[in-house]
Amino acid sequence: MINKWNKILKGRGTIVFCASVIALFFLVALLAPWIAPHDPIKVDLLSKLQGPSVEHWLGTDHLGRDNLSRLIYGARVSLGFAAMIFVSSLLIGVLVGSISGYAGGWLDSVLMRLCEGIMAFPNLVLVLGIVGIFGPGLMQVLLALMLVQWVYYARICRNMVVSLKERPFIAAARISGSSSWSIIRRHIIPNVQRPIVVMGTLEMGWAIMDISALSFLGLGIQPPNAEWGAMIHEGTAHIRSHPELMIYPGVLILIVVIMFNILGEALSERYGVAKLRR
Amino acid sequence: MLQVHQVSHSYGGSGWRKSKAAAGKVLDNVSFDLEPGCCLGLLGTSGAGKSTLGKIVLGLQKPASGQVTFEGFELYTKGRQGIRKVRRDLQAVFQDCYSAVNPLMTADHIIGEPLRNYERLSPAELKRRTGELLEQVGLAAEDGSKRPSQFSGGQLQRVNIARAIALKPKLIVLDEPISSLDMVHQTLILDLLSELKDSIGLSYLFITHDIQAVMTICDRVAVMDKGQIVYHTDSPSSLPSAEHEAVQRLVSAVLPQHPSLRTSWV
Repeated sequence: MINKWNKILKGRGTIVFCASVIALFFLVALLAPWIAPHDPIKVDLLSKLQGPSVEHWLGTDHLGRDNLSRLIYGARVSLGFAAMIFVSSLLIGVLVGSISGYAGGWLDSVLMRLCEGIMAFPNLVLVLGIVGIFGPGLMQVLLALMLVQWVYYARICRNMVVSLKERPFIAAARISGSSSWSIIRRHIIPNVQRPIVVMGTLEMGWAIMDISALSFLGLGIQPPNAEWGAMIHEGTAHIRSHPELMIYPGVLILIVVIMFNILGEALSERYGVAKLRR
Repeated sequence: MLQVHQVSHSYGGSGWRKSKAAAGKVLDNVSFDLEPGCCLGLLGTSGAGKSTLGKIVLGLQKPASGQVTFEGFELYTKGRQGIRKVRRDLQAVFQDCYSAVNPLMTADHIIGEPLRNYERLSPAELKRRTGELLEQVGLAAEDGSKRPSQFSGGQLQRVNIARAIALKPKLIVLDEPISSLDMVHQTLILDLLSELKDSIGLSYLFITHDIQAVMTICDRVAVMDKGQIVYHTDSPSSLPSAEHEAVQRLVSAVLPQHPSLRTSWV
């Protein structure tokens, strides 16, 4: 039974399904201004804390703002910033990891000790520290998360490069007259690409959680702007009378993070990445 | 053409983690010369230091001491100017044909890599050249679009050979080029190698433990044991009668045609 489920969960259909759901979320986030029925920050105290209606499909919050519109606009922040963190920390990580693994010697030692230093702190503590120094705000959170995330890519990438470097085809490329840079570009990066993408998919889920967590704590997005984590935070005041204010964004976070996780697992199965990681 | 002069090397740690205890001598004062058009066999058991010597000759591994000179350029000078000058004349074929090619590239890409590095060719011209090279090593030009996993071992070793001859080099270091192949393909690849040697005018440094292959293709043989060249002969066919203990060990390891003909056990 478990085996059967495992097979279904890691099959091709799962990849297509998860990718489509994620794509749908991104599409909604991208088209927010056109599909959101109301202005997400427009306060209307006369119609506060309403239940679902034709006018407000998912009701309104404590300031009378349309919940559906806030969720749609919130997706922009949650997904958009997670994607930015994903792309930028991946680029930095792959670059540093490739150089570190390829160069070896003291440069490798220095860069890897730096990574280990950053990894030694719990992520959230480090991010809180950085945000504490620079003050709350989305940009600070973005930079802080980037700063703690790239080390994981760098570390994995470096280890793969070290084992790749010993393979004869790298020696063959050097004998063919390829420069170090073109060996990294033509031989190393294409061969680390798949595992890194798989890892990135799994990390995306974490990035969304981190952004929401920090916004929940009031460190990320600032009111009145909408963001899922911040919406959960606003909902806590009405947890007894209107729990749906927390449930809507919570469920969305849950769905997106689960989709990214299942997609990552399925991709790693499909690409045989577990074997590559050694 | 190639002079190796008193080369010694040992593997230990590197940088500040270097440990004296781990340092073991892999090569001890090795010297030999290789003339143009010659095939020198470097014979020895695993661990005799032959592959390290191959790497040093190819300019991939700086030896602890000694000089390697190719076509009058010393390889290991400051800034590695010498290696850059001779790089295109010094090529290699490795033992494991599968790990000697990037698994994500097509045969055309693999063979085209040295050409792209040294010759400015249009894409069409490049395609024509790689097709020619594939035909030269006994494959079809259409095989150029295949990836390594679609070739058999023997075919892939031909791709490797095509890459090595792409720049019309002067010397090819063959590091156990037939050891990962079956007997039939070993013979076919050896035939191809000696044919190419005559048609392009190549020299080979043939690194192997296979005494029969050496007797088939080599003009001269140096036998290595524990990092030293212990025996040297200009007539490979006389190897079985050589009296040196390291040579006898290799000779007696050759499987006889029938078990009953076996004279000794290693």
